[in-house]
Amino acid sequence: MRIYNKYLISLVLVACLINISLAFAGQNDLELYFTVNIITYLVITLLYVYFNPRARRALSTISAVLLAGFMVIVVLKVMAILSGK
Amino acid sequence: MAGAIFAPIAYFILGSVPLTAVGMSSVIIGFTCIALANTRPYISPEACQLILRTGMENTASLLEELGLTGKAVYLPSTMRDGHPQALIPLVENGDIQQVKGRIPGRLIVRYGVNPDDMAIAVTTPGSINIDMLETKPGPTAAEIEAAATYILTGVLDIAHSVTVNLVDANVEVEISGARLQYEDIWYYRCLGSPIASIVAAISSEALQKPVRIREESYRQGKGRIVLEVLP
Repeated sequence: MRIYNKYLISLVLVACLINISLAFAGQNDLELYFTVNIITYLVITLLYVYFNPRARRALSTISAVLLAGFMVIVVLKVMAILSGK
Repeated sequence: MAGAIFAPIAYFILGSVPLTAVGMSSVIIGFTCIALANTRPYISPEACQLILRTGMENTASLLEELGLTGKAVYLPSTMRDGHPQALIPLVENGDIQQVKGRIPGRLIVRYGVNPDDMAIAVTTPGSINIDMLETKPGPTAAEIEAAATYILTGVLDIAHSVTVNLVDANVEVEISGARLQYEDIWYYRCLGSPIASIVAAISSEALQKPVRIREESYRQGKGRIVLEVLP
């Protein structure tokens, strides 16, 4: 199960790094934290292409849910910009 | 679970956005862990090992009974009724270089025109693993490497990484972190270790040519397999 361990350890390390970096940068926008975390999750998941088909299907489902959340944030931001608020 | 409890507490009670983000990250990683745990096979590793050893022991008994010591030739599926298998010549010094055309789907098969050109055809771990590939690999080193990495690292998790080089009529494969080591037993001397068998079957399928394991060695966790591509 070493490839799964590597994948999970990289997810945890990158999530920690991002959250600590943004906190030190003085960011206080939850949407920004959420968006950056989702993007890195999707990138890391894409890098691990050698998972077995069942694992990839399960991860694709999670990725789809996260991507939907990301799209909701993007649409809300675009609507806010267009309405001039 | 902890993240799902911690995130609302951090946001509504503590009022800390960074801590809320930590909670959200925990939720994402938690769901990933649950998803990956559910994709593991229902059969235990011990049961898998039992099945593998049973098959190997049976084939080894057959090889020992017939006194076969020649190296097996791995055939692509197109030469063996759509199912890749390995041929072991019945005559020790039999010239199996010129395997042409489709070999019939039987245990004892004729591969040439001479009366001595007889061999037994057996299914190997590599033969079964070919079905696990989503697409058939092409004849380049990169495609063979990708297919071997997918099977050995992603699906079976029996090696850390695989490197493949095509040198003249040889396929040189380097395996790091191999879990199934080579043993000096009859089965391995004829058919190679399960890792070599898988790599040979993938190479044969990719190159669409018969392949023979010429050399297999393991040192300090690194394995080196040299495959001879037959004309």
